[in-house]
Amino acid sequence: MIEVSDIHVTFAQGTPVENHALRGLSIFIPEGEFVTVIGSNGAGKSTLLNAVSGEIGIDSGAIRVGDRDVTRQSTERRAGDVARVFQDPMAGTCENLTIEENLALAIKRGSSRGLGWAVRRQYKQRFQQRLKRLGLGLEQRLEDRMGLLSGGQRQAVSLLMATLQPMQILLLDEHTAALDPKTAAFVLELTREIIKEQNLTTLMVTHSMKQALEVGQRTLMLHAGQVAFDVAGDKRQGLEVKDLLALFERNAGEELADDSLLLG
Amino acid sequence: MSEIAFLGAIETGLLFGLVAFGIFISFRILDFPDLTVDGSFPLGAAVSASMIVAGFNPWLATALAVVAGAAAGLVTAWLNVKLKILHLLASILTMIALYSINLRIMGRPNVALLGEETLLTPLENLGLPYYWVAPLAFIVVVLVVGALLVALLKSEIGLAMRATGANPRMARAQGVSTAAMILLGMAFSNALVALAGSLFAQSQGSADVTMGVGVIVVGLASVIGGEALMSTRTILLAVVACLLGSIFYRLVIAFALNADFIGLKAQDLNLVTAVMVALAIVMPQIKANLIKNKRSAA
Repeated sequence: MIEVSDIHVTFAQGTPVENHALRGLSIFIPEGEFVTVIGSNGAGKSTLLNAVSGEIGIDSGAIRVGDRDVTRQSTERRAGDVARVFQDPMAGTCENLTIEENLALAIKRGSSRGLGWAVRRQYKQRFQQRLKRLGLGLEQRLEDRMGLLSGGQRQAVSLLMATLQPMQILLLDEHTAALDPKTAAFVLELTREIIKEQNLTTLMVTHSMKQALEVGQRTLMLHAGQVAFDVAGDKRQGLEVKDLLALFERNAGEELADDSLLLG
Repeated sequence: MSEIAFLGAIETGLLFGLVAFGIFISFRILDFPDLTVDGSFPLGAAVSASMIVAGFNPWLATALAVVAGAAAGLVTAWLNVKLKILHLLASILTMIALYSINLRIMGRPNVALLGEETLLTPLENLGLPYYWVAPLAFIVVVLVVGALLVALLKSEIGLAMRATGANPRMARAQGVSTAAMILLGMAFSNALVALAGSLFAQSQGSADVTMGVGVIVVGLASVIGGEALMSTRTILLAVVACLLGSIFYRLVIAFALNADFIGLKAQDLNLVTAVMVALAIVMPQIKANLIKNKRSAA
């Protein structure tokens, strides 16, 4: 579970380009809930994920992950509790390392690293098992360099890496946005399966309202650094994109200017 | 080329293989262009030569030289990681500072080791021809250090270090402290270079404050040359390539300076080196262009 309480983030503070990206944002996600987040460009979606993962510091407020206060902790200290898949397929994996080395790096997320061999025989079997379910034949290519894989394949491996070890929260940062429609659908389906199987607490940012309603159990919309609306359960059942728009206009008091949210 | 000139080239090539290992860690593994080596090489020489002259055991002197090198690497890494100084500039600052420090350590611009007991003295007493002693000893050192380097880079920490250089954001997301990896890697890199400096001083019989000039270029020539010579697909191959590159570089230099028909003299050494490095860097590009032209012509 995670609890974000009243966080503020300002970029370039005290300069003419100052940007108050998050303005007193609060979210509570109980264990096992799958939340989707939408919002137009600049609404603060990525900033929220970066704040939860620790990549950027916050001005005020608090962030709790599991039963720990991580507000002042670095990304690597939080990594045991916070797993992440990036938007850019190149960002989540290391192209110069082999597939098995990438997975070996991920298997140590949250535990200390020593001088023992990184890629051990007992890991290989586990890696092959996990890779097999992708149906991409990657289980035969453990020693191939990651750079040889396509964007979709790399994103699928990123997802496996993020979910190899237990975590308190899984962050998905528009992780299908950079893929072609067919591959995106494959990665999204894989995401749903894994989240369901392992009962993961998930925060998924998406650029598509349709996707936001189709997957997960709860949908948040961010606007100008705050939560514009938050729907779950019965209220969310049967909602369509146009209902979301109406909800947004009522709560934020303005019309949505970003077409791309509707087109996705 | 005479046997002595050949063995001399092999000896220097082996020693600079250690430098190439160090530069491989900073430039290739951590993606950290590190010029500290121009200071840590003479630092290793200065520490061990001063201690040997002062009557200390050569083993202890060499060990302390290695520690001093590691400290120099830590300073550069710290300037970059904690004080956020650009990596290249951080290493130049350390290198410049080390010039003064090396003068302080030796108390004068150079220290002669003639007649002193060094690490090589016991071997010289075995009755081998003198020009065979150093190459044989250095082969052992380089193989041991190379094996340790491969083992380190294949360990969990080594993997974290490689990820730090290749994709720091991803490394942090996997719980790797990139700052710690840069500190550790730079310390290890400069420790190896200081070891090379220490052994170089002991085999050449003196330490000199200017002996570090251009070490970075020679080391880079070895790393890049090695990559041009052979595949570096795995860590083991990459480390072997550093060593081969270093020996190959020395042999080419020895040949170029010995071949009278080219007309090169000893003072042309740095010019030859610079040309070789430039060639090694653009070679893959030229090769790719040639292949492309051939294809479009066909």
